[in-house]
Amino acid sequence: MINKKKFDFVLAGYLIALIALGCIIIFSASTTTIGGYTNTQNYWWKQAIFAVISLLAVYLLLKIPMSIFELLIVPAYILNILALILVLFTPPVNGAHRWFSFLGINYQPSESAKLLTILVVARAISQDNMTEIKQIFIALGLTVLPALLILIEPDFGSTLVFFFSLLAMLIAAELPLYYILLLISPVISIITSFWWIAIIIWIIVLVYLLLRARLSWITISIASILNVFLSLITPVFWNGLKDYQQQRILSFLNPMADPLGSGYQIIQAKIAVGSGSLFGKGWLNGTQKNMHFLPEHHTDFIFSVIGEEFGFIGSLVLIGLFFLFFYRFINDIGEIRVRERRIAAAGIFAYLLFQTFINIGMNIGLIPATGIPLPFISYGGSNLLFSTLAVGVVLKYLNERGLMK
Amino acid sequence: MIKMKNYYLHIFRGVLIILCMILVVMLFKLQVVKGSYYQRIAESNFVRIRRIPATRGEIYDSKYRPIVTNIPSYNLYLTSGKISDMNALSSFLAYNFNIDAEELRKMVFEQRFKTYEEILILDNISYETVIKLSEKVSDFPELSFRSGTTRNYLYPNHFCGYVGRIDAKEYERYKDEDYSLNAYIGKNGLERYYEVLLRGKDGKEIIQVDAQGRSLELFKDNIFLPPQNGLSLILTIDNELQSYANEIFPQGAKGCIIVTDVKTGGILAYISKPDYDPNLFMQKITPEVWASLNTPAKPLLDRVINATYPPGSVFKPVMGTLGLEKGVIDRNTHLAACRGGLQIGNRFFRCWFAAGHGSLSIVDAFKVSCDVFFYDLINHMELDEVYAHTRACGLTDKTGIDLPNERSGFFPDTKYYKKRIGRVTGLSGYKANLAIGQGEVLCTPMEINTFYAAIARGGLWLQPHLLNRTMGTARINREQIEPLKSYRMPWSANTQQIIKEGLWAVTNAPGGTARAINVPGATTYGKTGSAENYMGKLTHAWFTGFIETDKPGIVVTVFLENAGGGGAVAAPIANKIFNYYMGNIERIERTAPIPPQFLTAEEQEAEFGMEMETSSTTEISVPTPELPLTENHPESNP
Repeated sequence: MINKKKFDFVLAGYLIALIALGCIIIFSASTTTIGGYTNTQNYWWKQAIFAVISLLAVYLLLKIPMSIFELLIVPAYILNILALILVLFTPPVNGAHRWFSFLGINYQPSESAKLLTILVVARAISQDNMTEIKQIFIALGLTVLPALLILIEPDFGSTLVFFFSLLAMLIAAELPLYYILLLISPVISIITSFWWIAIIIWIIVLVYLLLRARLSWITISIASILNVFLSLITPVFWNGLKDYQQQRILSFLNPMADPLGSGYQIIQAKIAVGSGSLFGKGWLNGTQKNMHFLPEHHTDFIFSVIGEEFGFIGSLVLIGLFFLFFYRFINDIGEIRVRERRIAAAGIFAYLLFQTFINIGMNIGLIPATGIPLPFISYGGSNLLFSTLAVGVVLKYLNERGLMK
Repeated sequence: MIKMKNYYLHIFRGVLIILCMILVVMLFKLQVVKGSYYQRIAESNFVRIRRIPATRGEIYDSKYRPIVTNIPSYNLYLTSGKISDMNALSSFLAYNFNIDAEELRKMVFEQRFKTYEEILILDNISYETVIKLSEKVSDFPELSFRSGTTRNYLYPNHFCGYVGRIDAKEYERYKDEDYSLNAYIGKNGLERYYEVLLRGKDGKEIIQVDAQGRSLELFKDNIFLPPQNGLSLILTIDNELQSYANEIFPQGAKGCIIVTDVKTGGILAYISKPDYDPNLFMQKITPEVWASLNTPAKPLLDRVINATYPPGSVFKPVMGTLGLEKGVIDRNTHLAACRGGLQIGNRFFRCWFAAGHGSLSIVDAFKVSCDVFFYDLINHMELDEVYAHTRACGLTDKTGIDLPNERSGFFPDTKYYKKRIGRVTGLSGYKANLAIGQGEVLCTPMEINTFYAAIARGGLWLQPHLLNRTMGTARINREQIEPLKSYRMPWSANTQQIIKEGLWAVTNAPGGTARAINVPGATTYGKTGSAENYMGKLTHAWFTGFIETDKPGIVVTVFLENAGGGGAVAAPIANKIFNYYMGNIERIERTAPIPPQFLTAEEQEAEFGMEMETSSTTEISVPTPELPLTENHPESNP
């Protein structure tokens, strides 16, 4: 059970503080005042129940023997992949096939897939006698499968999270950094392909970095040629797309190109957060929240309520709390001695950190609206359960860490 | 490569610090530097998307004469997010508009997720009230009068149906199709069936002005998506024929008249009585009005398609064709002699003519509508055979007319009796009743009309319909909306010949039951029916028949609930309609020119060009009317 010397009570404390803060803000987000009459929807206590369930799940996780837990990971991953396929056949909600609904409970298989994929990838690349190239390809393969299924739903934001955690895991696997560079170079080539000056600078930087890494001339030549080719082919491919396909991609990258859809939401979120000013309007007093300009302000746009009601000071407190949590988390990764678990912890760290950053970024107009919830805070059972469980896994690793491996 | 132990943790720390810095800097910029700017916007709190309602398509008859139109109306809207004093508001609304506090609270909290949106709380307010109260309303920033349109139903036609405010259940179901909470939606009739065509697409506009009316410039341009108005429906109905049929319908009687064009299957007149004024639904329905619509006479019931009745003798051609097809009888077979009835088992089944008809051939059996002939005929056939044939004749299925809530007819098979009386043998008594369209068999008048139209068409069944085409932003013809179903009736040319001979005899030969039919210039065919029923002492009166001329003919079905004998009551009405049609055939069958409001730009130019040729005078400045958009839509010629 809980090992008082090894268990990280501080990290667990931050986690509970964040969840509790979430319930308080959801209470405000679901309260509407009209002409003196107040009406609060029941989201906050539903979230409180989810919180209790999630913490109980963490407790259970700590209790079950590590050997059983490790045995469950692969079958759970396979089941999750099946769920991701099945969910594509559910009726669409707001145009996306993301949820299973039964008995009033909505389950989003992409949430559990994030955690399980991290655990499976960590397992796979920690096997003995693996070449670095093999590690990269196996990790990539195990990630692409769920990521593609989630992209079809469509849920572009979640797909991105998969690749951020993959990157963090490969870094934590202590692969030479030039592999990471080779891995992300095609993405940069595609992005730079629209400005010829950027292409030239990027290729020069790439070749320089690869030279510094003392790779063979053959490797450098192949990598450079492939990247140049990608840069040149991308505009051709882009022009081959139909107008509406181009439009869809553009309006994702630049929401203001779709002012009646996501652009409108981002403007409303910015107005809400900005009008909070330094000290905020006070708990339950948000006017923008009260007018329901944002349809999802208890889920994806919960930060807009925080920004409006608690102002810059409140936002700082929240970000500070997240910072302390993640800083503690990083230190904990260093404490874990088993390579597989350390890699998994790094993946979980990246998954939670990027969700947090993308969500707040979206609420302040920095990042396109992607439908990513704020971990621990946003209303939603699947999100709360699996982000809490992810922290629970790390707590379990810490709790049962040996001295040496 | 030399590596620090766990060097990657520094990368993670670095990334964490950078990301947090980015957020803090951006938040400082947004909340502290530009805080007062966004506060100002929040106070004016009206950056929002406004919906510009599309105008609903109108409904016209085949000659472009209006049936349902839009008229201007004044509505009262409430923005619940702006309410400052609920009590003052509720007493104001209660005093002036009869909206009580409870009703108001319900409306406000039903919409609590859209507190910024205007809720339509009252429509069709009189202009006098608007003038009288507009100053007082301006004391309540949450209230506003707005002009819009409402439906105007020119005739009490059942087939039009009516629209109403979208209710909670409909909203849940259709909100993904961009319905607003204030939307009107077709509730019944054509308004409901063709909702998709009629409604159009609402426009959208971003409102981004502050309290002083200055643009906030949050968005580069003022985005404006114009509404796309709904399509107007051009029906197959002929308003004059419809009005004439309405006029000659016996006062106070219940029933219906259907007139269908034989060639196209298009419905020319569609009467169901008693009727109601659909405009009643455009106002708040008072309990008294509601009571008047729910009398025992059931004015809301569309007797053409929403009710089934025993068909009585109009069912006999179904039996006759099956007998001929099965070879049980031919043109000259004389069946059991009618002596005022026929003994079947231990029961004596009466013929309507107590004196008896004697032994008859099928043509004569039709002519005098002898029941005994058909009692005997069905005795030579299996029940399931008759069921299958009735089904093949289209009398147990919906006709597929373009209206909602159509009912289908019923004919029992052995499975039905097994379930109901527990046996499949000794059914001859039940069968005898079925043979003359009594007992369990039920049909809608529309099914009967469609069946006789198929006979008139030489044995080709064609789906009946009301919509001919659409006009307005797109011209879609009937075939493009939904191709008409059609199939051959289950009988040979020879059988077709004999059945027509029988139906001819009914209206022409001496002793025929429908001698009231007399249409100079046309060959008439028909069948009467007097169906006994549980609803009353008098029989339901049926007449259904058709005329042939060198021009397209028509099928007329007259049905009167508990009105007496078909030959005496229903046939004379049908006769008037046949003669009216013959007198106006040129006008009814003529294709009307497209009126100016529906002409496309090119057509208008062409027409204008012709005018120029005839009257070549000085330059005229042409007013540019609203041009209908015809891009993206299939174009068809009338």
